[in-house]
Amino acid sequence: MTTALSLEKASCFLGGRLVLQGLSFALGQGDVVAVLGASGAGKSSLLSLLDGRLPVVDGAVEVGGICLSSSVARKARRKTGFIFQDFALVDRLSVFRNVMAGRLGHLPLWSSCFGRDRPGDRRRVMELLDETGLTPFADRRVDALSGGQRQRVAVARCLAQEPDVILADEPVSNLDPELSVQMLKLLTAQARKRGATVVFSTHQPDLALRFADRLIGLVDGQIRLDSPTARVHDADIAALYGASLSPYQQPPQRRQPCLRVC
Amino acid sequence: MSARVLIFLLGVGILYLCAETVDFSKISGAGARLSDFAGRMIPPDFSVWPEVLRGLVETFSIAVLGTFFSCVLSVVLAVLASRVLMPPVVWRTTQGLLAAIRAVPLILVAIFMVGAVGLGPLPGILAITFHATGMLAKFYAEAIDQVSPAPVVALDSAGAGTVQKLRWAIWPQMAPVVLRDTVFRFELNLRESLVLGIVGAGGIGLYVQTYVRSFQYDKAATVTLAIIALVVLSESVNSLLTRRFS
Repeated sequence: MTTALSLEKASCFLGGRLVLQGLSFALGQGDVVAVLGASGAGKSSLLSLLDGRLPVVDGAVEVGGICLSSSVARKARRKTGFIFQDFALVDRLSVFRNVMAGRLGHLPLWSSCFGRDRPGDRRRVMELLDETGLTPFADRRVDALSGGQRQRVAVARCLAQEPDVILADEPVSNLDPELSVQMLKLLTAQARKRGATVVFSTHQPDLALRFADRLIGLVDGQIRLDSPTARVHDADIAALYGASLSPYQQPPQRRQPCLRVC
Repeated sequence: MSARVLIFLLGVGILYLCAETVDFSKISGAGARLSDFAGRMIPPDFSVWPEVLRGLVETFSIAVLGTFFSCVLSVVLAVLASRVLMPPVVWRTTQGLLAAIRAVPLILVAIFMVGAVGLGPLPGILAITFHATGMLAKFYAEAIDQVSPAPVVALDSAGAGTVQKLRWAIWPQMAPVVLRDTVFRFELNLRESLVLGIVGAGGIGLYVQTYVRSFQYDKAATVTLAIIALVVLSESVNSLLTRRFS
């Protein structure tokens, strides 16, 4: 299987603090991976590192075969979609324009600034709106949408990039349980359809177990768990959160638990 | 004595000291004179309508061009005055400069400009531009500083360049604030340009001064009605624009 991204003893600082230490793992094209860990464990930092927004201070990070510390890192970012916790949409723009913003990395500078979209890009965006059920809202301003509709705009914008890797930073933390499931269903289905790799962080182990093929658990910026979902034991997850795992976060009971803690 | 009572007494004391500087007894004789003025204004003399219209157009032009030029200058100065875009030494210096510009009274600037470029609308435009820039640049800088960084980061993640981020993440957030402040400033400019004619800086103010000084109150009444119509019209259009683009 083609390697979509890899980390080799990667470390990084944030605000003068070492937030990730010596992380090593590789993901294949089409993998769906959930990153778990308590608040401050380094989940968001890991995703920012993979997105090229946090500099690598030690080790190596490659996304799509491009080393993120190199001068061509921007090319890698164009092929890396990111879904933010609060969706980071431009409220005053229409749904169509927000989704088209996902294509800015592919568009010529000046024509994109004047909103003169190429027919192929318009068609691509309209297809995505159709796939995410947003066609009736295409001309509506984003601030007039519900939470569920906004999350679909965020997913569509990310997919408009035609990314090989999709990073999602706690994409369901602001959503109710039903919408959370809908969001992850949509995201993983669309990613699988395109063969894209997905890395999403979450505080909800039950959703991680349900939607991911593999779990990566972080404690204090280090990997403590890296295992296929089917082989994760409840105790592994509990160990990541210490005593902080609330009853609603308890993972569902699983058969034949098999522990693999790094 | 509680602090509230102390503040109340202090307030009363300040009001008393201020009132001591004014002779309010003159109000008693003012009513008769005011009604005399009003009597002479009715009926208004509409024969001066062509001149008044010319003055109105000139006033409107001063306000429009003054607002336009101050907008252009303000964009540049606002970037320099923005706390999020510039290092402290740059934004502090620029904000100090803008505060100094705002502190100079418009009428004083207009007198200087008349001295520099002569009579007519040009000194009015220059004075309005100078004065409005001090305020607009400050408002624009605040608009830049209040932009939410999240959409900018999102577009950056999508591989957008700096100009694309400015166009599609920063400008849409700033636009309503910039429009509201510009429209507000245009209204102020219009009102201020009405009086600039008094010092020879063009506009309808010249006609007000001429007619009042020559005791032609019926003609002054026509000018007053025209000014009221212009201000009401401008307020209505501005409020429509602000509602449409908020």
